[in-house]
Amino acid sequence: MNDEKPLLKAPHWGANVTTYLFLGGIMGGLGLIQLLCDPRDESMRKLRRTTRIASFLLAAVNPPILISHLGRPERFLHMMRIVKLKSPMSVGVWGLVLYSGAAGANMVRELAQSGVLPSWMRHFAPHALTFAQAVLGAFTAGYTGVLLSATAVPLWAAGKRHIPAASISSGAASACALASLLSVIEGNHEACVKTERLEMVASAVEFAILMDFRRVSGDYGKPMFEGPRAEKFRTVTLIGGIAVPIALNLLGQILPLPKPVDAARTVVASVLTLLGGYVLRETFIESGKASAAVRQTAISQPT
Amino acid sequence: MATGFFTDTTLCIGCKACEVACKQWNELPSDGFSFTGDSYDNTVELSGTTWRHVAFVEQIAATPDGVEDRWLMSSDVCKHCENAGCLEACPTGAIIRNEFGSVYIQPDVCNGCGYCVVSCPFGVVDLIDSLGGTAKYSTANLQESRLDASKTALAHTGGVAGKCTLCYDRQTLGMVPACAKACPTDSIQFGDVATLRERAKERVTTLHARGETSAQLYGADDIGGGIGTLNAFFLLKDRPSVYNLPERPVLPSTRQPDGYAAAAVIAVGLAIAGWAIFRSA
Ligand code: SF4
Ligand code: SF4
Repeated sequence: MNDEKPLLKAPHWGANVTTYLFLGGIMGGLGLIQLLCDPRDESMRKLRRTTRIASFLLAAVNPPILISHLGRPERFLHMMRIVKLKSPMSVGVWGLVLYSGAAGANMVRELAQSGVLPSWMRHFAPHALTFAQAVLGAFTAGYTGVLLSATAVPLWAAGKRHIPAASISSGAASACALASLLSVIEGNHEACVKTERLEMVASAVEFAILMDFRRVSGDYGKPMFEGPRAEKFRTVTLIGGIAVPIALNLLGQILPLPKPVDAARTVVASVLTLLGGYVLRETFIESGKASAAVRQTAISQPT
Repeated sequence: MATGFFTDTTLCIGCKACEVACKQWNELPSDGFSFTGDSYDNTVELSGTTWRHVAFVEQIAATPDGVEDRWLMSSDVCKHCENAGCLEACPTGAIIRNEFGSVYIQPDVCNGCGYCVVSCPFGVVDLIDSLGGTAKYSTANLQESRLDASKTALAHTGGVAGKCTLCYDRQTLGMVPACAKACPTDSIQFGDVATLRERAKERVTTLHARGETSAQLYGADDIGGGIGTLNAFFLLKDRPSVYNLPERPVLPSTRQPDGYAAAAVIAVGLAIAGWAIFRSA
C-alpha cells in the first residue's frame, strides 16, 4: 500500500565507500600533522617523515578503493573530463589528485633528505607544498561529509553542518591515532605525547558534534541514533572509539607509566580510535540507507 | 523551447499502457514477475529500468453503510527539474540538459558512481545492475534505423544510471514520446512546457468550477527548495504526499555552503590547537 512505498532511492554504497571515507579522513589528517612538525626538533622531524610516507601510501591505496565501487570501473577517468564545483564528488576527486601530488612530492623530499633517494631530488618539492598538503588534507577529510550531506537522504541532509564537521574531526583524531601508533613502533615517544594530546582534542570535538547532532536532528536522526544500528555506534564509536581512548591518553599524560606499559596503552588507545572512526563512517552509510526508506522524513525534506 | 509532460491524473484509468510503451520502445528489461498482493500496483516504484510507474492509491474504508472507496491513479515519471539534483551531482558530466530542455543521462559517459541516485529529491533515478551475459539490450535493430544509438538507453549493458530520457531519440525525429503516444485518455500530454502549463491551469479552473476543489498542480509553478519548476508536472486530486510525492523537496546542493563552512571552522580550530600543542616545548 502507498503508506509503505519507498519515496527515495537508497545509496548503493557499501564497505568500499566506507573504507574510502575512513582512509580519506586519516590521509587528510596526516596532511595537517606534517605541517605542525617543527623540523628543527629531532623527534618532530622523524614524525614528519613518518606522516608523509604514510599519507602518500594512503593516497596511493585510496583511488583503487574508490574505483572499486563504480558500476563501470573502467570508466573511472570519465571523472577527470570535467571540474564541477557544484558536485562534491567531482571536486573531491580533484582534491584527491592534488593531494596525492603534494604528498608524493613531499615524500620524495623527505626521502632525499634522509639519503634514501639522491639528494638533488629534494628540489622536487618547494616548501609551499608543506602548507598545500595541509590545506588539501583538510579538504579531503572534510569534503566527504559535504558529499553525504548534499544529497536527498534525510539523515545526511539533516546533518549538513554536523556530518562535515564530524568527518574532519574524526579524520584528525584517527590520523593522530595512526601517527601515535607508528611513533611508538619507531620508539619516538616524544612525538607520541604530542599526537596523543591533539588526538584528545580532536576526539572531544568530534564527540561534542555528534552529541549536538543527536540533539537537533529529531526524526531525521532516528535511523542513526535509535534502532539496531545505534547500539554498535554507541559502543564502538562513542564509548570505545572516543571516551575510552581519551581516558587512556589522559592516563598516559599524567601517570609516569613504565615504557612497555605505556607503549601498550598507546597501541590500545590508537586501535580503538581507528575502529571508532571506521564505525562512524559505516554508521553514516548504513543508517543513510535506512533513512532513505523512511517515507515521512522524505516527504518533508531538511532544508 | 523546452518540452515536457503534463500528467493529468484525473484522467488516468490505470491501464499502464504508458509503462508498457516505455519498456517496449526503450527496450528496458523486465523487472521480474512479482505481485504486491494488496494492490493493483505491482510496479511499486520507478527504477533504472522502469521509467514510467503508474502509482495506485487505493483508499478503501469500511463505513456503517458498507465500503467506501476512492481510487487515485497517477503515472509517475522523472520530473526533468529546472534545477536538477541529479545533474548537479554527476561528477562525470554524463547528465546534461539537452536541446529540448530535458535532463538526459549519456549512457556512454556514466561510470555508475551512484551519486545521482542519492541526489534526486524525488527518488527517480537508479543504477541499472550489470546485465552481463544476459543483456537484453541490443543495438542491432538500431543500426538499420535512423536512430542515433548514443541518444537511447541502449548504448550500454548496465552498471550505469538510468531514468526517463523524455524519449530524446524520438524527439530528435519529431515524434511524441512513447508513453504520451500510447496513453488512451490523454492523461499524459506532451508538448511545449509553457503551453502545457496554460492548459493545466485552465483545467484546474474547470475542475474547481465543477466542485473538484482539491485539484491542484504539482510543479507547474516553482516548487520551492531551490528546484524551480518541473518540466514534467502533474495535476493531482489530493495532497502530493498521498501520491508518494514529496511535499517539501529540496535541491541537495543548496546545503553545500553550510557544509564546507562547518568543515573549515573545525579545520582551522584543530590547526590552531595542533600548533599550540606541537610547538610548545
Ligand atoms: S526528478 Fe530526479 S532524476 Fe529527474 S531531473 Fe529531477 S533530480 Fe533528476
Ligand atoms: S551514476 Fe553516472 S549519471 Fe549518475 S552521477 Fe554517477 S556518473 Fe553521473
